Amino acid sequence: MSQHLSSRQISQWMIGERTPQQEQHVRQCSECGAELARLEAALALFRGSVRHWSDQQIRVPRPLTPTRRSRGYPARPQPLRWALGAAALLVLAAVPIYRNAQDRQRQAEIASADALLLEQVDAEVSRAVPRPMEPLVKLVSWDFSSTDERDENRRDTIQNEEIR
Amino acid sequence: MIAAVDRSASEIDDLDALVRLHWPRVFRFALASLRDPDAAGSVAQDCFLKAYRSRDRFRGECSTEAWLMRIAVNLIRDYARNRRLQFWKRARTSAVDLEAASPWIPDSGASPESGAMAKEQLAAVWNAAGGLSERQRTVFLLRFVEDLDLLEIAAATGMKEGTVKVHLFRALQAVRERIGRSQ
Repeated sequence: MSQHLSSRQISQWMIGERTPQQEQHVRQCSECGAELARLEAALALFRGSVRHWSDQQIRVPRPLTPTRRSRGYPARPQPLRWALGAAALLVLAAVPIYRNAQDRQRQAEIASADALLLEQVDAEVSRAVPRPMEPLVKLVSWDFSSTDERDENRRDTIQNEEIR
Repeated sequence: MIAAVDRSASEIDDLDALVRLHWPRVFRFALASLRDPDAAGSVAQDCFLKAYRSRDRFRGECSTEAWLMRIAVNLIRDYARNRRLQFWKRARTSAVDLEAASPWIPDSGASPESGAMAKEQLAAVWNAAGGLSERQRTVFLLRFVEDLDLLEIAAATGMKEGTVKVHLFRALQAVRERIGRSQ
């Protein structure tokens, strides 16, 4: 192999895909050898810088929580999860029921207020005489009743005398 | 095989030992991927907790390390996707990482000129890695920072070996192009 390695072949070389002919060429060709060495040096620099930076930044982690848990133990106890879920559902279900009860109470109050008003209206409408004349009506009706009683008493007395 | 599975399962049961042994690699991979030390710490912690909680599902088909790296890859992908919305934060962390990581150059007694050139090359690789697609960057970091071979990368990412090769090839082309431009 007399030709220099192509750009594609250099990248393939770095991946590890190389033929015996290419290996022989690189051993003999200073240009291709230098190109590969330059690339390998750049990658080694990169590796070194990452490791150096990582060594500087690395911190010993705090003890991780699951070490104290038994095998397969969930992050939060299952019954607690269920209880929380049930409570949330209960609250969600209770809200419309509470609102319904409130609405019903309000409607009942309105209905009783309406009924009272209607009764008052009926009472006003059904008066025989206007309110200012009511005392007179009472006076008259009292006199009548007393006269009737007197007449009746008188009739009873006359009948009793006749019998005697 | 059964013995290997038992060994891996018991290894995961001891969370503290697992963290001591594998934290540096998981944290480093997360740091190189996210370029944010706080985020890398969170991802690494989540990775170990997730591994511990789902240890019943670990069947020993791969090494514990490959399994951890697979969890880390998924967590980093999720984190990066969520972080796309936070444009300002991404811009800030991109600026921070080069300042924090680039000044490191091994002291090999080289001349100031070659030191400056090395610094330029390093910055070019960092920039190129930042511009890669998520999958390309993942395989690139696993190969050239974590030194995993293609099969290990396939196990860690859930990709086929051929797919890993394709992503790695494209990543290398992009990095070489960037290094060439920097000179």
